[in-house]
Amino acid sequence: MIKRYFSLLLIVLISLRLSAQVWVVPAENELRKSPFAFDDASRKAGSEIYNASCKSCHGEPGKNNPIPLVPPPPDFASVKMQSNSDGALQFKVTAGRGPMPSFKNTLSATDVWRVISYARSFNDKYVQEVSKSSEAGGASVQNVKIQISWLKDKNQVQASLSAMKDKVNQPVAGAEVKLFAKRYFGNLLIDEARTTDALGNALFNFPADLPGDSAGHVQLIARLTNEAIFGEAKADSVLIIGVPTYRPPLNEQRAMWNVVSKTPIWLLLAYTIAVLGAWGFIIYVFLQIRAIFLAGSKKDPDSAE
Amino acid sequence: MASEVNTGFLNDKKLDSIAADILRPVGITQGFIVWMGFLGISLLACIYAYYLQWDKGLIVTGLRDYTSWGMYIANFVFFVATSLVGMLISSVLGLIGFKWVKPIARIAEIIAVAFAAIAGLVIVSDMGRPERLPYVFLYGRIQSPIIWDVTVVTTYLVISALLYFLPLIPDLAISKGRMGHTPKWLQKTYEVLSVNWIHTPQQYKILLKAVRIMLILIIPTAFAIHTVTSWLFAVTLRPGWDSSIFGPYFLTGAFVAGSAAVVIVMYFVRTNYKLDKYLTLHHFDMMGKLLVLVSIVYLYFNINEYLVPGFKMKTAEAIHLKELFVGDYAMMFWSVQLLGLIIPIILLLFKVFRKPLSMLVISIIMLIAAWFKRFIIVVPTQDHPFLPKQHVPDAWMVYHPTIVESAITIGTIILAVIIITILVKFFPVIPIWEVAEEQHETDSKTKE
Repeated sequence: MIKRYFSLLLIVLISLRLSAQVWVVPAENELRKSPFAFDDASRKAGSEIYNASCKSCHGEPGKNNPIPLVPPPPDFASVKMQSNSDGALQFKVTAGRGPMPSFKNTLSATDVWRVISYARSFNDKYVQEVSKSSEAGGASVQNVKIQISWLKDKNQVQASLSAMKDKVNQPVAGAEVKLFAKRYFGNLLIDEARTTDALGNALFNFPADLPGDSAGHVQLIARLTNEAIFGEAKADSVLIIGVPTYRPPLNEQRAMWNVVSKTPIWLLLAYTIAVLGAWGFIIYVFLQIRAIFLAGSKKDPDSAE
Repeated sequence: MASEVNTGFLNDKKLDSIAADILRPVGITQGFIVWMGFLGISLLACIYAYYLQWDKGLIVTGLRDYTSWGMYIANFVFFVATSLVGMLISSVLGLIGFKWVKPIARIAEIIAVAFAAIAGLVIVSDMGRPERLPYVFLYGRIQSPIIWDVTVVTTYLVISALLYFLPLIPDLAISKGRMGHTPKWLQKTYEVLSVNWIHTPQQYKILLKAVRIMLILIIPTAFAIHTVTSWLFAVTLRPGWDSSIFGPYFLTGAFVAGSAAVVIVMYFVRTNYKLDKYLTLHHFDMMGKLLVLVSIVYLYFNINEYLVPGFKMKTAEAIHLKELFVGDYAMMFWSVQLLGLIIPIILLLFKVFRKPLSMLVISIIMLIAAWFKRFIIVVPTQDHPFLPKQHVPDAWMVYHPTIVESAITIGTIILAVIIITILVKFFPVIPIWEVAEEQHETDSKTKE
């Protein structure tokens, strides 16, 4: 009992501390600005990301209906949320803290900016300042394409980057790439961030024990870290490189709550035996009534004599 | 029931007088026409109520989201409970060898058949879309206690009907030549139903064997029917239902209701048909003692069912129990416990109260209390869901039965009474051959 009170006290103290603690944003992040101007397209894309990844905790913006966490996830339309600078929001979404997960692996930098673009649509007074470097010219290499392939003999995944330059497809060297495997809840970073060589290839060591689906399929995502220089490039491909893993669906086994064709064997037997047993005797007794009838009609001529 | 029949009673002169006594009321009499007319007209009003429900759906009842079972299912439990007495009297007491149950065994079986037959109809009355009844059989899941219930109710009805019919066969044959005062079609019915019975030892042997099989088979079936009915509640997690003793609790409660019903029918048969020679004061005395016994057992289960959770008072359970003990249902709850159990037990301990008329009054009160007892088991639990009641109209918050559903419920009771009346009126209500055989035996013993 005392242990329980103690742990309860601990939880309360930790949550109080968390809610009281100011979320310090490093100065350079604080001042960071979006590389692109927020427009309807970015707001629309942001709202889609919001519905998929943020709404389950933060609720519907403006309705103040987050899930009851301590501290409560702030409403996107609230003053608490809107008083953050763009850079602070970008930092907090990326880094995460306590119950707020880090979206570093799940969302690309551009996608995070899109969510912020959506968040700002609930603030009439907001005036955007766009990053100066992007105003200067945006990404220096454009339309980077990433191809993911499996090097079986080396147990490695290779990401090959290329871009059209002077109407010729050329490898992109010196770009930092991250490789992720898609899991149920977010993306799992595979190996570390790697930089492409002169041929535009980055090699990732792939773990031998990563579970795939029942056929071993693993969905891989490669993404560039420096979107300011290389733009937003992303590759998404499925390779058969995981350990085949079969997870039976919950309704596969026979169970009391399953459909009738999945009745537990013991119940099927008990029910059938009980019904057949009882009705066997009943039918037997009906046959006995017939026997009484026959016994009576057999004696009939005798009694008539 | 003896394993062999001494057919000597067939030539005993006493058989004639016994048969004459028991067959005298058989047939259509003025009293019967008046009584059936009354029942028939009342039933018509109830059928109109059911027409309203058929036409508009369950909206004409007080049943809503929270209380979806209400009066109908309470009525169903009452019907199943009352029908169990057939098993108690003819089977349990008969197999043990109590001779005094012989003249009332058939009354008990009549009640069993009537109430089991209507129990199925009562379930249909609770269905908003009764035309989908076949779906129960087409798409039912063996895992569901509802399917078990449908199965055992049907089985119990057939076994009870056989236990009514089998010992009736010799009586039908005995009656054949003694039915001059009855309509032709009834004589013809006797002819067909007596299945060529000519009292041969072989026929008696087959009959006794068949009856014995059914007497044994009906015990597990009767246990199953009411235990499964209790499981419809007990397999849920709801306060008031989430109990491991619900099976025996229902079963023992059933014997109280059924025995009371037997006493009521016994009384009317005895006085209306002037059969006090066969339904003697001794029978009422014994039934009184039986009522005390089954009531004490049921009281014991009641104490368990309410005292144990009442001692613990778990949050949800406490809301439910307070509602019963001191809340909205307190009046009904304590009336049922006092009038339906405690006072009858005390009164029936005294021989003065084990007389026909006082037992009739006590039994009627007990039977009414038994009906309300089922209401208390079914309804208050549904009135207290775990999650708060919200976003529904005020009228849905508390269950108030409407006139329509009350009429339909009364209609089912009228139907059971009609079945009982027909069986009691058109067929020998006391087993002629068994009574004659027993008298013959005691006579020949005293002669020796």
